[in-house]
Amino acid sequence: MMPDLTQHGTAETKEWKPAQNTPAVMFDRVSKSYGRINALNSISLGISGGVTGILGMNGAGKSTLFKLMMGKIKPSSGAIRLFGADPWKNPAPYSRIGFVPEHEKLYDWMTAFDFIVTFARLHGMTREQASIEASRVLSFVSLADVMHKKIGQFSKGMRQRVKIAHALVNDPELIILDEPLQGCDPLARTTIMNVIKELGAMGRTVLVSSHILHEIERITEQIVILHRGRVLALGNSHAIREMLDQHPHKIELECDDPRELAKSIIKIDEVTGMSFANPGRLLIETQHLGEVHQKLPQTIIESGRKVTAIDNPDDDLQSILMYLTGGSI
Amino acid sequence: MSSKMDTIWSRLDRKSTAIAEFTMRQYRTRISTWVVMIASVVALFLMLLFYIEAMNSEIQAIDNDGDSFDSDGDGYPDGQERLEGTNPNSDVSFPDWVDPDPPEKWINEDDIDWDTLGEGDNYVGEDDDGDCTNLDTSSQRDTNDNGIDCDIIVNVDSLNSSIIVDADSNVDEDPDEEKYGKEAGHRSFILGIGKFGIVYLLGIFLPLFLATGLIREEMSEGTIHYMLAKPIARGELLLYRMLGYIGVTWPFIISVCIILCLITGFTGPSDGFFRWSDIGVWMSIAWATMLVSLVYGTIFCGFGIIWKNGVILAIIFAAWELGMAFVAIFSGGDSSIRYMSVIGWGMIIVDAGVAISWPDNWQLIEIGLWGGGHGEENWLGQVDFVALPGAEPLGAFSGSPNLGVSNWLAFVISTVVLLFQGIMAWFIGQSIFKGKEVE
Repeated sequence: MMPDLTQHGTAETKEWKPAQNTPAVMFDRVSKSYGRINALNSISLGISGGVTGILGMNGAGKSTLFKLMMGKIKPSSGAIRLFGADPWKNPAPYSRIGFVPEHEKLYDWMTAFDFIVTFARLHGMTREQASIEASRVLSFVSLADVMHKKIGQFSKGMRQRVKIAHALVNDPELIILDEPLQGCDPLARTTIMNVIKELGAMGRTVLVSSHILHEIERITEQIVILHRGRVLALGNSHAIREMLDQHPHKIELECDDPRELAKSIIKIDEVTGMSFANPGRLLIETQHLGEVHQKLPQTIIESGRKVTAIDNPDDDLQSILMYLTGGSI
Repeated sequence: MSSKMDTIWSRLDRKSTAIAEFTMRQYRTRISTWVVMIASVVALFLMLLFYIEAMNSEIQAIDNDGDSFDSDGDGYPDGQERLEGTNPNSDVSFPDWVDPDPPEKWINEDDIDWDTLGEGDNYVGEDDDGDCTNLDTSSQRDTNDNGIDCDIIVNVDSLNSSIIVDADSNVDEDPDEEKYGKEAGHRSFILGIGKFGIVYLLGIFLPLFLATGLIREEMSEGTIHYMLAKPIARGELLLYRMLGYIGVTWPFIISVCIILCLITGFTGPSDGFFRWSDIGVWMSIAWATMLVSLVYGTIFCGFGIIWKNGVILAIIFAAWELGMAFVAIFSGGDSSIRYMSVIGWGMIIVDAGVAISWPDNWQLIEIGLWGGGHGEENWLGQVDFVALPGAEPLGAFSGSPNLGVSNWLAFVISTVVLLFQGIMAWFIGQSIFKGKEVE
């Protein structure tokens, strides 16, 4: 097989499957600059099939990448192809794409069902088809029971799921999710992650962006690391993870009574340390992030405490970036 | 590619109804929609109060020929004495075979009663009070020398909208101010509030509040990403959003016009119970407002796309249009610069509608300006007639389409021009939108 020249990166691994024929997404030496600031610098990518995580710190260029993909902005140079078409000039490929924007703003005055039906009709569906599809996708994201409630009454996690459902209504081949886990509570995170994994299992091409490595790891092994507008690495996350295990990781919990919660959490074997940095917050340290994250929900439920947010400070990604850039991030 | 790709500018009915319906529902949730609609209704109905007040108050009757006065103090008004053949200036000469008339009977007793005027010379007029027919000599009775006693020659030149009145003395010299003033006042109100209050103010305020943010607000709130991630062209989106805007504003404009038409139609002076001829005028006012608000809406929506403070551009544009509205209304159709505006074409629609529905309108103005022929000679030796009440305002608010074609054709031409302006505004707007990076 001929190597795909459009694939660049310093951490290519053999697990990475280059796209065949026309990839769903194709970036050929794409740059985007705002004045003198280069948001993206000569990016070349081809993505087809499976779930791909786009990883990078804030300002790394993830959103710019998605905006270019969705034809919202025009590349300064290079070519972008979505199913072979230029998204800046031609919105036609969007009939095969579902996009979940990062923006939190939704039409709060609409019910979830109305919102999805309305936007389904923009795919050319009749009212009846749209209603059927809307019920289907809302069940898929487990919102069937509240679908006739106003979006304004929804929690952050439910709103995220409404956005995801709206993107799935046309049964897309390519699904793009911009920071879908940001600000969600633990339960919503799990639901959304399962939805994404399921989509991947259904054979769809899924792109998920995040600035948190372990989140992406729980969804997919295939990751692209963006840093300062460049593709720093792409490939299997296990390879990257191995070089990180010597670094400790932190998890921050926001809860009503951190001290009580700490008593339960210390029972998790992998937890190596805890501290109460800020009022109402508990900071956990561990070498085994994945295991802790798996055990955490059950432990929290058993403790009977109310946890309002789980956050991972950028530590793990920063460690990778430190490693990959030789300490100059 | 697959048939799935063939989705922009296709299945327009489904997509357009989805966006238009969505836009209309969105308007319902916005406070600005309610504010602008309620404010315009309140303003229009305040104006309507002045109209109802005017229609229900009496216009002071003027005794233009002075014959209600009893010069000799014998109890009989001069007019009655002249009619009966006694001397109005002698207190021993009076018609004792009849009871004296109350003086009011000799006010407004010789009204202008020419209903239909044809092109060229018309011989009209009737000496209702006998102060012409009772004159002694034929030369006194026929001062306009047409061989007919006590009549008026009215030369009508409809091409130039001019009327020349040459009356025998004392014919139709004491017109009914009330009757004329009510009719002229009614028409002036409809034209004043119609042209300025509805076609201009409503036509520009509705789009200013409702159309400027049509795309801009979605851009600043980030919700445009949901729309732009669908297989529709940006030009399509703009078009369908405008459809939703029309779906809200047009029914509102039509309702306002119907309500005002009903109120003024029943209140105004009329032989029957309703002024049917006004309906055509109100229809042209409504149609002009609908088209004007569509063009402004498309332009303002484009301003919103260009710049986040597009409303500033819209206000500057509205100021230009305000100037053009004054030119178009008060030049009476003589100005050519009005063609360089939106509102000028809107006014042509109204003027054409008036000319079709009230074909006698310009004659009514001219007759009112003549007003019975009273006045003073100015230094040029011409007579400055004293106009009847309402004639001057009606003249100010009335205009002629003045396109050199028939009224119906003027109506059609200005409609086509406004639609063309709207299409151009959409075309330019969508070109800008297509090249706009949306963050």
